[in-house]
Amino acid sequence: MPLTTETMVLNMGPHHPSTHGVLRFILRTDGEVIHMCRPDIGYLHRGLEKIAEQLPYAQFMPYTDRLDYLAAMNCNLGYAITVEQAADIEVPPRAEYIRVLVAELNRIISHLISVGTFAMDIGAVTPFTHTIREREWVNDLFEELCGARLTYNYIRFGGVAFDLPDGFLNRLSQFLDYFEPRLEQYNRFISKNKIFKERLVGVAVISQQQALDYALVGPNLRGSGIDWDLRRDEPYSVYGDLEFDVSVGTSEFGVLGDCYTRYWVRIWEMEQSVRILRQCIAKMPEGPYLNKSKRKLEVEPGEIYVRTEAPRGELGFYLISQGGIRPHRLKIRTGSFSAMSIVEELGSGLMVADLVALIASLDVVAPEVDR
Amino acid sequence: MEEQGILERIKRIIGEADLVWVDDQLGDPYLVIPREKLRRLAIYLKGDAHLAFDTLMCLSGVHNMQEQDEMEVVYHLYSIRHRHQFIFKVKLERPAFFPHFYLRVDSVSGIWPAAAWMEREVYDMFGIHFVGHDDFRRLLLPTDWEGHPLQKDYQESDAYRGIGTAREEVEGVLAEESG
Repeated sequence: MPLTTETMVLNMGPHHPSTHGVLRFILRTDGEVIHMCRPDIGYLHRGLEKIAEQLPYAQFMPYTDRLDYLAAMNCNLGYAITVEQAADIEVPPRAEYIRVLVAELNRIISHLISVGTFAMDIGAVTPFTHTIREREWVNDLFEELCGARLTYNYIRFGGVAFDLPDGFLNRLSQFLDYFEPRLEQYNRFISKNKIFKERLVGVAVISQQQALDYALVGPNLRGSGIDWDLRRDEPYSVYGDLEFDVSVGTSEFGVLGDCYTRYWVRIWEMEQSVRILRQCIAKMPEGPYLNKSKRKLEVEPGEIYVRTEAPRGELGFYLISQGGIRPHRLKIRTGSFSAMSIVEELGSGLMVADLVALIASLDVVAPEVDR
Repeated sequence: MEEQGILERIKRIIGEADLVWVDDQLGDPYLVIPREKLRRLAIYLKGDAHLAFDTLMCLSGVHNMQEQDEMEVVYHLYSIRHRHQFIFKVKLERPAFFPHFYLRVDSVSGIWPAAAWMEREVYDMFGIHFVGHDDFRRLLLPTDWEGHPLQKDYQESDAYRGIGTAREEVEGVLAEESG
């Protein structure tokens, strides 16, 4: 008698340790192989776009912290730049450098979480404790700067909320001196680990065409070998004056566009962020940290789409104003949203354990998907 | 390519009739097209070698109620190959009776797969139907949710599956509004 198999519908989530927030996947599996993978999102939908329409511009800033709580500074920055462009607010040079400094620092800790949870999803729990230890140091720095450890609400229209405290730049240098050799250590004990590689090389390959079709952004796009970074290609703030390389995936370590390449892009980006941070420390100008000229903020009628490079890629704010103190419409386009939309296509044909690797490699954060 | 050059090429392909070019406002200029021309324009924008708009950056819905009741679908395109962008809109009237018959526009998910989820989100939030979409249903809200929350005249129901939706009003939250 021939051996028969049958398909089974399996629910993964909404609460699953590897889903990075509250996500749910409906899988149709045959043994370990996924035949159909359907993401079900919306568990963290808080209606941020509706809230934005009801609040004055400045009052929406704390909500952008919650947009992506692992990269609150970058979300603050994206929103601030949007409103500044719309309302024509100047930012003093010191504030620009402080902003880039906190944004890159936030990029490092966001990628640390990504790398740590990646290893944890694959089954190695220890690296996470190491990355979170480094992150703690940065959290202390941020706490010193603005009093908060996760949702900073630090950036204001026209600058930042507080100046750097005395000795902050020294303590930041100390952290960078400590952190840079750590990256090499991570490479020794996770990145080049044989089991880790076996699990990731050649898994869930995203071709260049697929990456463009699904509008992937940030490290996921660069992991497929597309040389595109808003910080270099459409420089905002003071990125034009800073030297850094865009980390683009290569087929040096695995297959171009696989989970392993996307992992490496994040490691390389942390190295580049350290480089940017050192330049910020060296170049930090004196002067005011906040332009206080506009107390009452009103935006002329019109519409503007501004995008910045957050750790999860392009973060776009589409602001429509009809005059007045509140936006008519604020659409938020996030990197995790497009990353989630490709899972349905890539998921079918994978093993269940590889789906976990795929989600981890896309670095999806649920609140950013659902908004 | 500059926006004017892109516009000239588009006019040659889909004709000048009914196209409205808006560039007197704050921010980037955009083109308003009639909905019948959407699919043809989208195929051209993606396929033409000189334009090659390979990514759909953003697809948003907008609801206006000031002058007349209308919905907009806004397409932000970018070409990573040529490093240029283009924005166009489709405007849909929203009559008082049977609006779902009129809020219909062709889906571009076959042209840019990224649109598949973005269109589902627009439907979820605005109630605009995208014709020709493979897997058309709500994205963020539960399937039995009533209404489309980002419509300007959306009324929240009192309860959802027996869970009340009333919130406590906090004094002074909107204090700045007086001006």
